[in-house]
Amino acid sequence: MPDTTRAPADREITFAQAIREALAEEMRRDSTVFILGEDVAEAGTPFKVLAGLLEEFGKERVLDTPISEAGFTGLAVGAAMTGMRPVVDIMFGDFVTLTMDQMVNQAAKVHYMSGGKWRVPMVMRTTMGATRRSAAQHSQSLHAWFCHVPGLKVVLPSTPYDAKGLLKAAIRDENPVVFFEDKMMYKLKGPVPAEDYTVPLGVADVKRVGEDITLIATSSMVQVALGAAALLEEIGISAEVVDPRTMWPLDEKTLIDSAKKTSRVIVLDEGYERYGVTAELASVVATGAFYDLDAPVKRMGAMHVPIPFSPPLEDATVPTEQTVFEAARTMCGK
Amino acid sequence: MPNKKTKSKTNSNGNRARNGASRSKTPLLAKDARKGAPTPVSGLRTYSIPDMRLEHPDLSVRQSIEKDKDGTEHVRYEVTGNLDAPVPPIRDSKYLDKKQCIEIYRYMLLNRKMEVALENLYKQGKVVGGVYFGLGQEACSCASAYALDKDDWFAPMIRNQGSLLVRGFRASDTMMQYMAKADSPTRGRDGTSHFGDIEKRNMVSPISMLGDLIPVLAGVALGARLQGRNVAVMTYIGDGGQSTGVTYEGINFAAVQNLGLVLFVESNLWAYSTPSEMQYRCKDLAERAIGYGIPGVIVDGTDACQVYDAARDAVERAHRGEGPTMIEAKMMRMKGHAIHDAAAYVPKPMFDFWKKRDPIARFENYLVKEKKWLTAKENAELISEVERMIEAEREIAVNSPMPTPESAEGGVFCEDGCHEIKPKYGMPKVTKRTGGYKETEAAVHLK
Repeated sequence: MPDTTRAPADREITFAQAIREALAEEMRRDSTVFILGEDVAEAGTPFKVLAGLLEEFGKERVLDTPISEAGFTGLAVGAAMTGMRPVVDIMFGDFVTLTMDQMVNQAAKVHYMSGGKWRVPMVMRTTMGATRRSAAQHSQSLHAWFCHVPGLKVVLPSTPYDAKGLLKAAIRDENPVVFFEDKMMYKLKGPVPAEDYTVPLGVADVKRVGEDITLIATSSMVQVALGAAALLEEIGISAEVVDPRTMWPLDEKTLIDSAKKTSRVIVLDEGYERYGVTAELASVVATGAFYDLDAPVKRMGAMHVPIPFSPPLEDATVPTEQTVFEAARTMCGK
Repeated sequence: MPNKKTKSKTNSNGNRARNGASRSKTPLLAKDARKGAPTPVSGLRTYSIPDMRLEHPDLSVRQSIEKDKDGTEHVRYEVTGNLDAPVPPIRDSKYLDKKQCIEIYRYMLLNRKMEVALENLYKQGKVVGGVYFGLGQEACSCASAYALDKDDWFAPMIRNQGSLLVRGFRASDTMMQYMAKADSPTRGRDGTSHFGDIEKRNMVSPISMLGDLIPVLAGVALGARLQGRNVAVMTYIGDGGQSTGVTYEGINFAAVQNLGLVLFVESNLWAYSTPSEMQYRCKDLAERAIGYGIPGVIVDGTDACQVYDAARDAVERAHRGEGPTMIEAKMMRMKGHAIHDAAAYVPKPMFDFWKKRDPIARFENYLVKEKKWLTAKENAELISEVERMIEAEREIAVNSPMPTPESAEGGVFCEDGCHEIKPKYGMPKVTKRTGGYKETEAAVHLK
């Protein structure tokens, strides 16, 4: 359920710690859950997200693989068929291109193509997000690719609280789930209950209540939207920030209801704007709230270029608080 | 293949030593080589690949350009070598008895007669799409699957429709798949022999992308091992499909983790229209096993006994938790890629050469004339029993309805209670460890 309905947590941890805690709790709860990927064991991944799990769960359940994304993703499909719940770690989101065949042609299709006889309860965790100065092969946000494929669930957490609850729900899901973590948010702190909880897949969350404009934002863009909303408040514009949290299943109602209330919508996502998830979300809003909208739905995503390396170049390719603020102000006629 | 079992046969089975290896020792792995073989001169490593065949066809195919009257160039293939070599005998199995040989023979007959029935259904316009055949490969499909134990897993490729029959699927299952019927195992959602069974027969559905099954089957072995079981997982790849990168990734992972993969490399000489000479450069694909650090063996894919023995050795090795085995089965694809393909690119003398090595005709001769395990009358009865069975299966399949358009939607996801998700072999045991993990500074790789 949305954050707002829960009692506030009495502690704050980082996004990375929330991910690790979710994995550890699920691995303690269910011995079929195991992790496989490159440098997940001793190294705990380059971002140290998995640090310590090897010591607690052993090398059989935190399994270092050869460098072979396609191979070990296929392995996870097979292991899932035997009733295991593998959590595949793809170090950088850019490397998911190597796994597309296994995810798209195998994991996503097994249930349907088998006439409902098989299932692949696996999670693929990977990263997304630019501005880490890593250039075009380590900075992409390719979640839209998976959203296009029936049979995959796609999760984009934006806070430590959501990260823990959504990851636990993803691991418990009977279907293949792709879980995108913005690598620039690993250090983001937020309230996270120490106890067991899940955030159901397919339930959007209103991160900030407002009246004049709706900012629909995913993953890293939620913080950008909240920053822009604070700037907008200073000039008398009340912005609502809605986070769909999962691209599929998609909570269309919450998005449409907010659009009907505010009558203006900007959709923000760090993936490429062209043919990206902003297009689908904008379409849902435009169709569902057509008679209540005062302006065409605006989309803001990554510039249609390979993400450049140099900071002034890279920063220009993704939406920022300032560009969102300007766009919202223009849309509200102020 | 356990080393000791192949050693004694080394001289009689025509093993060819490589890189100066001693003929009397056939070490399979580098570490065995250090132990067993004579000290190599000048630091050359000695590896060899056991070769169970009783003949070594020396045919080779080369491309030539032919100009027609208009000067247009056409690619042709020519075959050279001893095309009149005598047909080798069937090698006596180390393991199979009379009853088992006859059972395999029956499956091979079923395999072929089912495909004849499919061809007829196609000609009657009842098949949706194409039909794929395993003509000439029935020994490999049937004897390999016959070597599996009940709890083992397998995943056939498109030409291994006989493996499905061995594992207990009905011919009508495959026929209904080809006709896209509502009662087909996939309810019309997939075609051909692309279906599986996770409950009883442990069969993973074939995947169209070649090589993809190898990591998936390795993953099955990994899952089973985490649940405390060493199962054999058998799959197949052609001499064409083995060129894919994922083939390497899957075998390598299985090798590193000692997973019980039993990989049949079916060298059937043609990958659609591309001859094996244009797929790889090494002499025998089994040699690639050396690079993976796993045992490799060559068998005559038209000899059911050789196929079974190699498969059984590999399956037992898998059960002992010793890791994967690669078995190269040499044979020839005796039809086109699928029913639409007349295989005009294959030199006719090649078909003639391999037709004489027909796996069913040779096995029949072995059982009836050589071993006298079947009388001519018993053989005729067996054949007509198989034909009657296929006809009955055909009736069932033809009479199944087509699926309704409304059933296309839904079933994309496994939702609420659709499946009980439980480990196939029981909950993995967890080693008790003291306390939880220690918190560390997160995200050190960030700027």
